[in-house]
Amino acid sequence: MAEALAGAAAGKVAPGRLDVSRSQAVRRFKWVILLPLMLMLLSLLTPVLLLQLYFSFHQWTVYLSSWWQADFVGFDIFQSVFTDPRFGWAVLRSLAFAGGSTIGCFVLGFLLAYLIYRPFRGQALYYALFIVPMLTAPIVIAYTGQMLLDRNGPLNDILSWLSGHDIRVLWLSDPDIALLTVTLLDIWNWTPFSFIIMLAGLSSLPKEPVEAAQILGASAWRIFLEVQLPLLRPVILLALVLRFLDAMGSFPIIWGLLQGGPGTATETLGIYIYITTWQDFNVSLGAAQSYITMVMMVGIVLLAIRLLRREKRSLDTMYTKPRDAEETA
Amino acid sequence: MTGQSLHRRRVLQGGIGLAALGATSFGRSALAAEEGDTIIAAAKGIGKTELKAIMWSNYFVPMKPPIEEFEKATGIAITSIKDLSTPTIPQAAMAEALTRSPDFDIVHLGSEMIPSLVSAGYLEPLDEYMHKANYKMDAVGDYANLATYGGKTYGIITDGNIFVHQLRKDLFEDADNKKKFEDKFGKPLAYPKSWDDDFQQMKFFHNPEKGIYGSGNLRSRGFGYVWFLMYLYSFGGFPFDADMKPTVNSEAGKKAIALYLRDKEVAFPDSPSWGTSQMIPHIAAGDVYSCQYWGGLIKLQENPAKSKTAGKWTYGLVPGGERDGKPLYRAAGMPVVCLTVNRNSPRKAAAAYMACWLGTEKSSSQIVSDRVNSFNDAWTRKEMTDPRVVQAYTPGGIKAIQANLQVSSPNIYLTGNQEFVDVLDKNLGQGYIGQLKSDEVLKQIDDDFAKVVKRIGTAKLKKDYETYAAIMPKATQPS
Repeated sequence: MAEALAGAAAGKVAPGRLDVSRSQAVRRFKWVILLPLMLMLLSLLTPVLLLQLYFSFHQWTVYLSSWWQADFVGFDIFQSVFTDPRFGWAVLRSLAFAGGSTIGCFVLGFLLAYLIYRPFRGQALYYALFIVPMLTAPIVIAYTGQMLLDRNGPLNDILSWLSGHDIRVLWLSDPDIALLTVTLLDIWNWTPFSFIIMLAGLSSLPKEPVEAAQILGASAWRIFLEVQLPLLRPVILLALVLRFLDAMGSFPIIWGLLQGGPGTATETLGIYIYITTWQDFNVSLGAAQSYITMVMMVGIVLLAIRLLRREKRSLDTMYTKPRDAEETA
Repeated sequence: MTGQSLHRRRVLQGGIGLAALGATSFGRSALAAEEGDTIIAAAKGIGKTELKAIMWSNYFVPMKPPIEEFEKATGIAITSIKDLSTPTIPQAAMAEALTRSPDFDIVHLGSEMIPSLVSAGYLEPLDEYMHKANYKMDAVGDYANLATYGGKTYGIITDGNIFVHQLRKDLFEDADNKKKFEDKFGKPLAYPKSWDDDFQQMKFFHNPEKGIYGSGNLRSRGFGYVWFLMYLYSFGGFPFDADMKPTVNSEAGKKAIALYLRDKEVAFPDSPSWGTSQMIPHIAAGDVYSCQYWGGLIKLQENPAKSKTAGKWTYGLVPGGERDGKPLYRAAGMPVVCLTVNRNSPRKAAAAYMACWLGTEKSSSQIVSDRVNSFNDAWTRKEMTDPRVVQAYTPGGIKAIQANLQVSSPNIYLTGNQEFVDVLDKNLGQGYIGQLKSDEVLKQIDDDFAKVVKRIGTAKLKKDYETYAAIMPKATQPS
């Protein structure tokens, strides 16, 4: 009774028995749905993770012994990863590549989504056209890129024609440009991903706030900046996080095009781990590198989840405030 | 007297009979099959066997006719392949080795992987089968040694991958060019015998505005190190001493890295990222004055249907360095692509005899003279005079291949080859694009090599070193 009074005083209605049993049922249903998936995931992942952990603490020289005969070396392998400048540079290159690709994909994807999110004739055609790059296999993009980006290739020819100067950019051979080149190709490949998410976000925006702002005489730019953008924040964050995580593990375009070269200019984490594990057959070092990368990615994911929750909370507050005000009135 | 006459008559009759038999198709096949008869005899008892191989289809396609012939005679055939490009086969082979899989019977790979795969217990020594089949790899010079390890043979060569020096004959023999060169350098424009001669000529002819680049040598990852090793060997250098202490940072290493880096002055600006697929069209189109390249390119660029520069090239021995004041020639013989046999395969005897069959002069000359699928190149002694092969490579081309095969030098022939190559790739690449200075490159290579040696084990690698040192060519220059 006291609780009910306290709840009423705080402006809340105590949940009825029916509500409680419904929420319990929903929770139970969630677990029923999730449990088999989680069990399957765990049973698939756990052996891999354990084996990887084993290799990270045991030096296995693949040519000379079986994996169960590998020598226990404690944290030596992790130490060698942390003191390896090549690994450090690979992390930095991956961050630069993933950051550049994420921003590029988002800006372009959002722009395209904003251009076509209102229904118009032929919208479906544009939609189909915009998602074509995502349907192209990255390795095909790499090999096509090799031809397009040649010093005497079509891209430089087009740039020369447009500028009226003879432009011969070494897109693939200049170590200062190579990482940018693969980033641009990745942007081309994955912009549709951001486009689809942003289009879904824009299409699901409530119409009322926009209409209210229009009635109040706000300009289109102001409506976008002060109404639509804040409402889209969780979607934007989701698009950024998903793209970033995917780009961090990007491999086929860089490998297909440059194998980490020229020099080590495009040697990102994925490339370096591949070289270590499958070219050098240094499975133990590759396992430790993968573990460190995984921990790093888990950290990013947790941060992203936290940010997403905060965005959701702030959005919920934004929606509940006017409703509360209405109810009070 | 009578007896003698009779004997002579019989011989004559026999000769006429053989000549008549030879004129028929039956006679031709019967005589031609002679070389592989012992292999067929050894393999016949095995019975029908379907073999699986890991092989690049570009190598497999021209092998099909001799495989069919072997199948008719013995019932043994390669019926399916896992089609992977040769550079990616080491990964697949190592995965098979680690799982001790019996799935694939034959793996067609670069012989530099033999030490690693033998150490991993994957490869079957072939000497016993070769002995039973009375088969011997009849390679030019010491080339067959490049498929041995610890005194045993583990691979049957199918591809004479050897560097040949080539330069543009039309430019080189042009009277005006000859005069200009002589006026400028005070010496005649002659075939380059040393790396310095070669560079001088490349620089002389380097004229990007006219679309001619001095050098067509490769400097990208996965390729550039081949040239570096060739330079290093040609100055008497070797990557390690007998105690497996890295010795790249040496006088020979300094000369090698200087050659490696100065190529930039006469190379395509794209060379840091160009592999064979980018460079070959430029060489065949005549955009290059000179380069050292795999002999297989000759078949392509001397094929008028495929090349604009057919007949415009001169081929010869790669330029040389010197050791103790004497010229030393070392041509890169890598990868020596060969057929190896899975030790875990229940069909390993059939696989071994199939490999021997494909390595006979008869099969090989048929395979290497294929002008369309030009991945397998000439390597046996008899092929050097086989009209089909000579026609495919041109007389000058085959002569150059023969000369270079006599001084063919291996890849880093140690367990862990791929790790050592990665060290070279990374540091040479960084040096070429200016991320490291030349002395830093050499120091870094030695430091990184030392780490790999420590990890694999000095004692193990010291044993490997014996093979590595033993398979280096004995001759300082071709005879």
